[in-house]
Amino acid sequence: MSLLDEQVSVPRRTMTLFFLIDTSGSMEGNKIGAVNDAVSNVLPMLDEISAENPDAEIKVAALEFSSGTNWLYSEPKLASDFVWQDVKAGGLTSLGEACQELASKLSRNGYMKSASGSFAPAIILLSDGGPTDDFESGLSKLKANNWFKAAIKIAIAIGDDADKDVLKQFTGNSEAVITVHNIDALKQIIRIVAITSSQIGSKSSAAGDTTKQDQVIEEVKDAVENIDGAEAASAVDSSSYDDDWA
Amino acid sequence: MNELKQGDKITLTSGGSVKIEKELGRGGQGIVYLVDLNGQKKALKWYLNPPDEKFYKNLEHNIISGPPSEAFLWPEYLTHKQKGSYGYVMKLRPANYFEFGNFLLAKKSFKSYSAMLAAAIKITNGFMMLHRHGYSYQDLNDGNFFIDPQTGDVLICDNDNVMPQGEKSGIMGKARYMAPEIVAGGVPDKYSDRFSLAVILFMLFYANHPFEGAKVVACPCLTEAFEKKFYGSEAIFIYDPFNKENLPVKGIHQNVIRRWPAFPSKLRELFQQEFSQEKLKNPTQRMVDTLWEKQLIGIRDNLVKCPHCGQETFLEEGSTCMDCGKKIDASVKLKIGSRQILLTKGTKIYIDNDNKPDGEVVAHPNDPTKLFIKNLTDYGWTAETPSGKIKVVDPQGVMPINPGIKIAFSNAYKGEIIKEG
Repeated sequence: MSLLDEQVSVPRRTMTLFFLIDTSGSMEGNKIGAVNDAVSNVLPMLDEISAENPDAEIKVAALEFSSGTNWLYSEPKLASDFVWQDVKAGGLTSLGEACQELASKLSRNGYMKSASGSFAPAIILLSDGGPTDDFESGLSKLKANNWFKAAIKIAIAIGDDADKDVLKQFTGNSEAVITVHNIDALKQIIRIVAITSSQIGSKSSAAGDTTKQDQVIEEVKDAVENIDGAEAASAVDSSSYDDDWA
Repeated sequence: MNELKQGDKITLTSGGSVKIEKELGRGGQGIVYLVDLNGQKKALKWYLNPPDEKFYKNLEHNIISGPPSEAFLWPEYLTHKQKGSYGYVMKLRPANYFEFGNFLLAKKSFKSYSAMLAAAIKITNGFMMLHRHGYSYQDLNDGNFFIDPQTGDVLICDNDNVMPQGEKSGIMGKARYMAPEIVAGGVPDKYSDRFSLAVILFMLFYANHPFEGAKVVACPCLTEAFEKKFYGSEAIFIYDPFNKENLPVKGIHQNVIRRWPAFPSKLRELFQQEFSQEKLKNPTQRMVDTLWEKQLIGIRDNLVKCPHCGQETFLEEGSTCMDCGKKIDASVKLKIGSRQILLTKGTKIYIDNDNKPDGEVVAHPNDPTKLFIKNLTDYGWTAETPSGKIKVVDPQGVMPINPGIKIAFSNAYKGEIIKEG
């Protein structure tokens, strides 16, 4: 049965999941702790999704931004190879620089060089404040990038000090901005957004669905309804919530 | 989210209830739990977001009608609406059945070509029976099958989207498995099921996707717009004889490159026809399920054990063993209607289409040149020799493979030993 024994796996396109993590000074304490905890816990789940998925191989890349930017690894890694080193908070919020940095890697010469091709990436931006650098020019460069245009973009606003307008500009859709008000909600939303984005290409879609980003938003919104302290941007006026970060 | 927890009791519309034991897995629509029903272990599919009333009624209807064949892990009991959702109870999947995805990822592989063909025939037969009962499946993809790698036996799952032909379940299907007309926005029906079936069969045999070749790999980022082209409006079969733009790529599409030339020419012809531009664009011209089944059975009739090396091999006119390369004499055949089953030592014979071998070619213990058919069924066959003698071949009994012998296996299947040349 040589032909059957010699079988290799079907080629899979790569789906890279980008975490863009605000590690500015205001994130210090339990916020950065929750991010570290949530991402390190979601990695084994992403590994499982990738290992069982005949459609896509999931890879992870993470960029932290504060007074500057730093990629945790110099290339996207399989979740099983991604050893999460806890990120630390301190410094400013260079979101503009982070956008430029991301744009430079979203190309076939950068991070998107899989031999059997890629799916559009999913990008999860986490921030609790507003940019302290030239966000507009960074974003306009990123918005010209075709990978970014096609990407699933979700932002998680941590607390009410997060500049939701900036996050909305980043995702291109106010519904793609999820606000969280406590540690549990933050952890759960990171998990839900990461997992939903990774699975979306391998699910059957219902009639009337538009883009993959919309499908992710729909699923995340359904989940948000059941999490205390999390809300989709278009849902409730956040001022009616008590911010319990203090 | 309406998740259940261990110990929860969920009542059934037929009376009684099931008790939740643990989660077995979760998918896009819901969670599958291991449950206890009066001491019996069953599986409960529980929807995270309950689909509408029409869906509930359809499930109810399908449960009353029963499964189209034993291949289906069909809904058996419906739950009342409770705890913010509902679900249905079905049989558990035995541990020796694995998701088709595991075969694609080369974590599991068929133990033999007979197992591979048995799986293909069982899947085809399942959808033939489903369509015959007036249903369409609507969401046929690689996640719907559990297969036993030893025998090729198949269980078809996720039968909750099954709808009467012509009705919408609201599901379009999964990218890369949807027919071009569905990618373009059409409504799934039995014709689009047939396309998805052909994709599944292709992947089962060749372990690569029929539309993913050079043209698709060259695309760095498969955006939704490209997806609509490559699997819809501009789909090109990788071995389209009239268009070489999308040939498989060395180093990437290894399985199909190795298997395409080695597997039977009949199989190549079938896929070239089914994935021709004409049939891609004209759903009603696609081959009906019964013809698929007939063709696959014809291919199995040419699968023999090589008398030299003992490996299974597909034989074609004057061809040699795929494994050892030696010439195989297959001039003696069992003719049943238009079928011609090749008879070499060790070959299993499938008379009907239940995927269970009914006979086996064995050699005389003292003279290996004399071949016999051993009756593996549990009923007697009646044979008539060329001189008119009537013999009964009991279960486990043998009959010589002599040209001119006629055999009645049953009322439906009558055959004759023939010799060519």
